Amino acid sequence: MARKTRNKLAIGAGRAFSAASRASKRGEGMVVGGRAMLKISPKLIDDLSGDRVWALVSSTNGKTSTTRLLATAAEQAGPVITQPTGANMTAGIVTALANGPHDGHAVLEVDEAYLPQIMPATRPKVLILGNLSRDQLDRMNEVAMIARKWRTVLDGHPETVVIANADDPIVAFAAERAKNVIWVGAGQVWTADSAVCPECGALLVRGSSPDDPSWSCPGCHRHRPETSWRLEYVDGRGTAIDAAGKRFDLSTLSLPGRFNAANATLALAAAVELGLDPIEAIARMSLVTAVSGRYAIATIGALTVRLLLAKNPAGWSELVDIMPPAPTPVIVTINSNAADGRDPSWLWDVPFERLRGRTVIATGDRRRDLAVRLLHAEVEHVTIEDPYLPDADLPGGARSLDAIDCAATYTAFHSLRTRADRELQARQGASK
Amino acid sequence: MSVVRIASVYASLLGTYGDGGNVAALVHRALLHDIHVEVIDVTPGLVLPRQADLYVLGGGEDTAQVAAANALRTDGGLTDAANRGAVVFAICAGYQLLGEHFPDATGKPAPGVGILDITTNRLPKRAVGELAAIPNEVNRELGLTQILTGYENHAGATHRGSGVEALATVRAGTGNGDGTEGSVSGRTIGTYLHGPCLARNPELADRLISWVVGRDLPTITEPEVEALRQERLKVVLG
Ligand SMILES: [Zn+2]
Repeated sequence: MARKTRNKLAIGAGRAFSAASRASKRGEGMVVGGRAMLKISPKLIDDLSGDRVWALVSSTNGKTSTTRLLATAAEQAGPVITQPTGANMTAGIVTALANGPHDGHAVLEVDEAYLPQIMPATRPKVLILGNLSRDQLDRMNEVAMIARKWRTVLDGHPETVVIANADDPIVAFAAERAKNVIWVGAGQVWTADSAVCPECGALLVRGSSPDDPSWSCPGCHRHRPETSWRLEYVDGRGTAIDAAGKRFDLSTLSLPGRFNAANATLALAAAVELGLDPIEAIARMSLVTAVSGRYAIATIGALTVRLLLAKNPAGWSELVDIMPPAPTPVIVTINSNAADGRDPSWLWDVPFERLRGRTVIATGDRRRDLAVRLLHAEVEHVTIEDPYLPDADLPGGARSLDAIDCAATYTAFHSLRTRADRELQARQGASK
Repeated sequence: MSVVRIASVYASLLGTYGDGGNVAALVHRALLHDIHVEVIDVTPGLVLPRQADLYVLGGGEDTAQVAAANALRTDGGLTDAANRGAVVFAICAGYQLLGEHFPDATGKPAPGVGILDITTNRLPKRAVGELAAIPNEVNRELGLTQILTGYENHAGATHRGSGVEALATVRAGTGNGDGTEGSVSGRTIGTYLHGPCLARNPELADRLISWVVGRDLPTITEPEVEALRQERLKVVLG
């Protein structure tokens, strides 16, 4: 069969599978459809990519948000192809390319482990590398091993401009041999997974104060690369500064926290590299209020919540910092299904001490592990199986908030979203 | 005894699996017993304090484990501490590196610190999951009565030499790989229990503190901890 005919067939079959999956309410069908397409035409990603892939984004934390920010900014130049749901492995990527607008440019999120495979197939103009840290404990991906694979694949793609976070020594190691690198000082809040040099195993020497991002290796003399762009973050206001010292105010962003300002700085550096207007890029990025349900306000049972997702200790540390100050109560939901990590001992790596002075509502399958952690952190807490019930015994003030923050692990977040959607549909059905 | 001095050894290398919680649990239990504690954070590159009462080592990845073992051998302070009867408590990678040798990232034997007469090689299959083990009666000085609970995630089969007793007998999970779990020699204890171990097994935390202060401590039960213990033991033992 001719390759073109085969591709057409593959896309048709994939769409049929996706539609069937949606009809049976098993999800958005991107993965099912994508798998069907790749089965019929294994080279489909190469053929669909052509030269229209503008950017890939890979990172342990922040890749979905950074992708959304850059994709939104890129709309200033015409239609953009991207994943709506963060389906970031081969099947999700092929579905996005097959179903996106014909004349669109693609901005795609890629799972860290899949980058070595997706990069040669898509040949992007720019690649954003944000950070690398331990994800779920029992997935056993040593971060240094992924960095080595990234390094090898970048060797084969001198045409791609790599936008890399200079403050993460593992990312710097991965990107250092790429032909074109734009180094960005985006910050590294989480240093626990980059204590040793990924090349020689010596202990890295870090800057002496939290404001000093420098790092160096006494063994092989690697050090933090000179940056072109950097993020300045003072009193909750982010500013991206380019190589010429030009300052771009990021305080208009709707997404909260230092880490989203860092995501925006990486996206902005990429946007400029793609020839986009930076001021318009920031204006567009500022309109992004929620990313795949993260930061969205939802009603669940008797409560209105702001839904927050974190997938690993680094992400949790960031969430703890964007929660409103004490004594405002918050909900923390911990599960330990495969996608959350079966072993919740990472709870001890998260600085929950910063939640002192308020009452935490501990819930989820592993609420008892969380309760023990909070006990040791000297954080007041109540353990409740379902805090959304109208008669749940919540701490004072919880019900009078406009929206209570609810931070959740991966599967807990998704079941809360599903519950919110289901309840919304029920309310709309009732009002008709 | 005015204050219990706890050295948290190389937490940035050993302790990236929630094991910092063991120091937190020791501090917490000591305060419950009205015992003052001082925590000395020994970052890699610093000399190990010679005067601490209790040295705590956590788990870590292969490359970090080799770096920690090399630094500890060069420093010599941990060996001296064990010889003078200080308490050494080590988890997983920290446990393995107390021995004669353990597998590095490529599986080749890397030299340990040699405080415990144990050797570790690779298990045929990685041990990941809940671990429950009955404390051994031979460890009279330790005198544990409650079943140990935690989570293991390692690929090491650990073999004890003469003079090293097992900490416990496995009821669920893998432990050392021969039906036993952990090692005890004098006041040095190694275990594969994450959890963190001392938060989930406060009796063991109290015992380590009582060794330092030289007296038995009264039983204090906290409902949160007891609820977690019961839940986890029910999950693994039914
Ligand atoms: Zn080095």
